[in-house]
Amino acid sequence: MNATFEQFGLLDAGRIAPLIPLLPLTAAAVIGLLGPRVLRGASHWPAILGVAGALGVTMIVAGYTHRAPDAAVFSRTWQLYSWIVPAAGLSFNVSFRIDPLTSVMLTTVCGIALAIVIYSRDYMRDHGHPVRGYERFFAFLCLFVASMCVLVLSGNFLLLYLGWEAVGLCSYLLIGFYYDRPSAAAAAMKAFLVNRVGDFGFGLGILFIYLWIAPLAGAGRDPLDYAVVFENIGRLEPWRITTIALLLFCGAVGKSAQLPLHVWLPDAMEGPSPVSALIHAATMVTAGVYMVVRCGAIFAASPTAMSVVTAVGMTTALFAATVAVAQYDMKRILAWSTISQLGLMFLAVGLGAADTAIYHLWTHAFFKALLFLGAGSVMHALGGVIDVRQLGGLRRVMPWTWALFTLGALSLAGFPLLSGYYSKDEILHAAWGRSPGLGLLASLTATLTAFYAFRMVFLAFHGRPRSPDHARPHESGGWMLLPMAALAAGAMFAGYLGVARDPHGFLGFVRPHDGIMQRFLLPVMSPFDALHPHLQLVEEHKGDFGLMYASAGLSILAIAAAFVLYVRRPDWPETVRRNFAEVHALLHRRYGIDELYERMLVRPLERLADGCRAWDVGIEFLVRLTASVPLGAAALLRPFLDGSLQGYALTMTAGLVLLAAIVRLVG
Amino acid sequence: MTDLTGACMLTGALLFAVGVAGFLARRNLITIFLSTEVMFQGVILNLVGFGLRHGQLTGQAFALFLIVTAAVEAGLALGLVVLLFRRSGTLDAEAWSRMRG
Repeated sequence: MNATFEQFGLLDAGRIAPLIPLLPLTAAAVIGLLGPRVLRGASHWPAILGVAGALGVTMIVAGYTHRAPDAAVFSRTWQLYSWIVPAAGLSFNVSFRIDPLTSVMLTTVCGIALAIVIYSRDYMRDHGHPVRGYERFFAFLCLFVASMCVLVLSGNFLLLYLGWEAVGLCSYLLIGFYYDRPSAAAAAMKAFLVNRVGDFGFGLGILFIYLWIAPLAGAGRDPLDYAVVFENIGRLEPWRITTIALLLFCGAVGKSAQLPLHVWLPDAMEGPSPVSALIHAATMVTAGVYMVVRCGAIFAASPTAMSVVTAVGMTTALFAATVAVAQYDMKRILAWSTISQLGLMFLAVGLGAADTAIYHLWTHAFFKALLFLGAGSVMHALGGVIDVRQLGGLRRVMPWTWALFTLGALSLAGFPLLSGYYSKDEILHAAWGRSPGLGLLASLTATLTAFYAFRMVFLAFHGRPRSPDHARPHESGGWMLLPMAALAAGAMFAGYLGVARDPHGFLGFVRPHDGIMQRFLLPVMSPFDALHPHLQLVEEHKGDFGLMYASAGLSILAIAAAFVLYVRRPDWPETVRRNFAEVHALLHRRYGIDELYERMLVRPLERLADGCRAWDVGIEFLVRLTASVPLGAAALLRPFLDGSLQGYALTMTAGLVLLAAIVRLVG
Repeated sequence: MTDLTGACMLTGALLFAVGVAGFLARRNLITIFLSTEVMFQGVILNLVGFGLRHGQLTGQAFALFLIVTAAVEAGLALGLVVLLFRRSGTLDAEAWSRMRG
């Protein structure tokens, strides 16, 4: 089984795989140590080199995975070392697992990260001068890439948890990058705390896995190893499987900002735009989707858990899409869009179409990162203005940003022949295949997506300029535009990895379900086979283009509607808003969920904290009182120790005399 | 015999008291040192007195031993006094009252 890999000798995939997290980690250490004194404005170079190196190694590893001749070789675990607790006779391994799923995730993470690190070189400069904390930014970014690689490479739940928490930490550090801004500090705290809620469930799930799998695993085997867990999970009672799956899903809900733990992601936009693009759009937030797909054997074994995943995904997707329609902050619109798209991915996983979820994760990473970088470009050019009501007419000033941003928006909207179209269409297929109700909701979400994406494009880039006079917008430089162009290429063509030509289609129209991506992922999709017969589905849908045409038509219609409303008749949205003031307010206030949490959780907790503080002050008073006794005694005796030799001698003699007198009197 | 013991001890106590008084009252480092020597002699005299009282030579032997020790200690202490004088330029003990509690 291992012969295929062994023959590569030194370049054995398992041997070079540790380099993938190690290179960015080294870069982070180099920047952290040398950045403030030596590198300063050149701090982006170690980051670029480290991430590019990781991408290179990823490519080699992915190449091996692709060439592996049979499914058995696909999922291999490389054990780096064993962390053994001798007393308990247990073994916890530090191991990497390399299979097609890992390869796709690693390529996404490292590829997007490289584009974003290059982009950040100019974005993190103010009129050509590095902003304060320039090296800190790149060090954290590299640390994030390393953590994310550990997360997707890990071969057991322990290492997965390590990566999971490490990316959370990096997210916290980078949201709070401008820590002197109270809103950024609060947003970082919020993200951290909300994620804590999800991670508590996640940690509990891992503990239950350990508790219930360890007796089944047999001596000397790591009870948290993926292979061991997935082998033995079927031997547990159904309710135990459901418990584990739902607890793990808690973690995914937190990390991927699904209902009801979605509140942190829109606020996370306080971080610099490249961070929003990398962490809060393309990679970290998709870790939840990755984890659920990775644990397919657990989730697919529990119909309840799969229903919950489907329900949460669908609800979140539609809910976030409606909120996005009524937001004004460009980055917040994109954040809500990310929540909605992640919801669609969970919907796909819940329906068993896990390869579709990963396919959408892949295309989404490109166009959403592109959109965030485009929004960042606008923000950079206007000195921080990001409210669409203050933008407008930027098309003439920033033609390149406009073109690239529109491309990203078209891909997000599901415009025919672009990446987003194919991947979203597959999710719609899966939804319609389950039930018309679900299909209708998914199609509605897709249509809303197209509408809000182009509402944003038309408001920001078309019409009259509304920007404040002091802002002098200018086009961004090559360091920012080139990575955006690379991502735009991905937004256009990355989807073609998941489609195949079909002679039955319009003009030999391509059709999904059957592309390189799906065939590549097929070996890791076996847990989902019972729910979603992948290859069989391909046969069923041959020549079935009705839905594809319909969703293409709907997306174009939605774009046209946005065009009419925001370009042709700019007074109409105002009329609509006035007539549906309550609906608009509800959407703009994000259904009031933040306020609800504020009232139900934050305030009571704050009051509890105040009470604790009062109690603490009381305790501290007592402690200080105790401490004041020796202090007072010391103050009383201090005059006798005046520092002069004879003073001491006098005290000593007096004491001696006193002692002698006592001895004399008592004895 | 007993009278001699009492005289020894009385003289020793007086010598010791004189030493303590000098040690407490004087400011000159050398004088302070001399006062300690006087206290020393008082203690030695005490030892001699006890030796007489018990009719043994141990006390006397100790007295001789202590005289030698005192001589050595005198050399050491005078050396220290010289060093202190070089550092502060004065023999006043008040110059070394930095160890305030």
